Amino acid sequence: MSLAFSMPEPRMVHDPMLPERAVIEAIKPEAYGISTFFLRLADPAEAAAYAFLPGQFNMLYLPGAGEIAISVSSDPGEPRLLGHTVRYAGNVTRTLGRLKVGHGVGLRGPFGNPWPMGEAAGKDLVIVAGGIGLAPLRPVILSVLRRRDAYGRVVLLYGARTPADLLYTDEFARWQEGNIDVHVTVDLGDERWKGLVGVVPQLFYRIRVDPKRTLIMTCGPEIMMRFVIYEALARRIAKESIYLSMERNMKCAVGFCGHCQFGPTFICKQGPVLKYSSIEPFFGKEDF
Amino acid sequence: MAEQTPWYSSFLANFSPRVREKLLSAAQQFEYKAGQDLFHEGDPSLYLFIVKTGHVAVELHVPSKGRRTILTASAGDVFGWSALVEPRIETASARAVEDATVYATKGGELMDLCREDPQLGFELYRALAEVIMARLIASRLQLLDVFAVA
Amino acid sequence: MAAGLPRVSASVVVPKASLQKVFDNLRASGFTLVGPTVREGTVVLEEIAGLEDLPLGWTDTQEPGSYRLQRTRQPEYFGFAVGPHSWKSFLHPPRLKLFSVEKNNGDWTLRAAEEHAPAYAFIGVRACDLHAIEVQDRVFMGGEFRDPHYARRREQIFVLAVNCGKASATCFCASLKTGPKVRGAFDLALTELPEVFVIEVGSEVGSEALRDTSWESATAFDLGRAAQAVQRAERQIERQLRTDDLPKVLYDNLDHPHWDQVAARCLSCANCTQVCPTCFCTTVEDASNLKGTAAERTRVWDSCFVLDFSHVHGGNMRPSIRARYRQWLTHKLASWLDQFGTLGCVGCGRCITWCPVGIDLTEEMEALREKATP
Repeated sequence: MSLAFSMPEPRMVHDPMLPERAVIEAIKPEAYGISTFFLRLADPAEAAAYAFLPGQFNMLYLPGAGEIAISVSSDPGEPRLLGHTVRYAGNVTRTLGRLKVGHGVGLRGPFGNPWPMGEAAGKDLVIVAGGIGLAPLRPVILSVLRRRDAYGRVVLLYGARTPADLLYTDEFARWQEGNIDVHVTVDLGDERWKGLVGVVPQLFYRIRVDPKRTLIMTCGPEIMMRFVIYEALARRIAKESIYLSMERNMKCAVGFCGHCQFGPTFICKQGPVLKYSSIEPFFGKEDF
Repeated sequence: MAEQTPWYSSFLANFSPRVREKLLSAAQQFEYKAGQDLFHEGDPSLYLFIVKTGHVAVELHVPSKGRRTILTASAGDVFGWSALVEPRIETASARAVEDATVYATKGGELMDLCREDPQLGFELYRALAEVIMARLIASRLQLLDVFAVA
Repeated sequence: MAAGLPRVSASVVVPKASLQKVFDNLRASGFTLVGPTVREGTVVLEEIAGLEDLPLGWTDTQEPGSYRLQRTRQPEYFGFAVGPHSWKSFLHPPRLKLFSVEKNNGDWTLRAAEEHAPAYAFIGVRACDLHAIEVQDRVFMGGEFRDPHYARRREQIFVLAVNCGKASATCFCASLKTGPKVRGAFDLALTELPEVFVIEVGSEVGSEALRDTSWESATAFDLGRAAQAVQRAERQIERQLRTDDLPKVLYDNLDHPHWDQVAARCLSCANCTQVCPTCFCTTVEDASNLKGTAAERTRVWDSCFVLDFSHVHGGNMRPSIRARYRQWLTHKLASWLDQFGTLGCVGCGRCITWCPVGIDLTEEMEALREKATP
């Protein structure tokens, strides 16, 4: 005998809020207050089934402390070992910072909309990163290096506040050798720094772009991304060719807690990678 | 309009009288109450502004930190030159700190005037270059945070 | 007297006292009855045993920021509009333990919390609230992910809906086409008349619940009187919410000066989000014992009016009440349309009644439409 209400198909029973166990395999200090945690899923079946795309993130759980959304910063072609570049900022990250190799954490994922690697094929790529914003873009760079001939000119514009804040500096030479044009700047130099000084959007003045075939991928502080978009639009790059990765408070990563909403967009589901043209009415709106 | 009003002494001071006259007659006057926004970052940039009376703050909002004033413009100061530079989008917000009256000239009209009247164009851009240079030097010093203790 | 059971989609009449038999039948089938009852001067939703728990002879007067119950002459069981509670407390519990963890030597094991969700029979679901349940169905079960806790509760619910015979001053279901007549998936829908209930059968289980209730087929006269009762409620509705320009009018007016005015009144107390039958935001709480060997994760209701709702490293993205009120209203009446294909609002009026300063979103929308950017 049936009730009036019938459950819509498909009948998924798995609770997306339950984390899997993952073990810390390695911890690599990257910059001042920032380390990359390399995690391996403890269950072999889960580890074999896990795959991620550049720009996606995991929810890392520390029992009793809480959960945080961290982009995967390692090579998507090597998903057995998942790198998460974390800045020690609050309670959960600092608890993570006290863990050692061999300790366990919880992991849920991967979540989120990835960078448009398919659309980028055959195009010129300008990757613009600020600070820890380079972490979710590193898988893009590694994917490009794997299949370099699938893309046109590829440029990385990267900057941080000071030289001590720069990530992955030991890889820049390899990226340059892989035919990625790397430009690095800092807001504030020091006596040893011989590189560029200036804000990241200013790096646009060092390159030439063909607006008809250029795709922008950018991640960093929101105010930086506002001015990156300004420079891109000034060079006649189409709004549909500009992609940014946004960040908001997240409690569930599956569109139920409501925290990550940005207008009608759930950053955890339609984002974190978003096409600028789809959020243009809201992006840059004060306190939105 | 050859009055010797206080605002007169800044931006337009070094213009030839003919050019100054022409620029002023192309301008409209707008009034704003204290606290009122003139424009928001991201808006199409329509006007070049010169403050006649009052104070205007040029601001950027930093998510989760609120609005930060980049600079303030008072009588005789010019702002809003993104009206003359592609892609003609406001790169900051502006708000009247006190009741303010501003002269506003449409960017499009100014560009037309510059094309028709090269002398006007030269004087305008020279004056703007001086203002922008002064602002740039100021910004560098602000960036250096020279008053920081550590 | 007709034998057996009425067929699905038939309408019947039963003497009012027979509703107790309906309750008994439901309980015998394993349902836990939840329905309206009077407590502390309010009609709340709680587990009920029978007819004696219903608010017989009570009616409510609702205004912005005001709710009062009064005794009435008519011996009606459902002579009131919705109170502060909604059915979401039973489908989307305010506190829900997700899992517990046992730690030893840097490693740990997880145990998902066992769910003991009774099969509820919702007694007295109004049209607006039935819509609200359907709105939440889309949120929790309509997308790529499904909330198994909501789904498990939802598929067991028996809905005994009630067509309103009286509207309160804060109701505005008619303009949203969400009432006062019940539409949707109900098992039984009753309309109260002076001596009888006219009941529409919506499902086989609904029909089964009418066993031995002395039901008779409803006559045209009965159906006519039932329709009049609902029309009377509809005529009483004063407020309305215009929807033809949504979501655009809100998306295009995020900088409208009126936001400052409503922000000056709003206390950011979050009452509206708690009483709203569609608001669904939650957060998680983590607790551990002092030794650090055991931990628990609990999901709890949250509100976009809470300052830390929008917390990011270094601050909050919506530090002002203006920003938070704008978020709530824009989500409810604009973003929700793009996200789920319906409005988030069902016109129940609870947010107007239970706002301590009486903010009325139908008025706020009219104020925003004045001098709006077209």
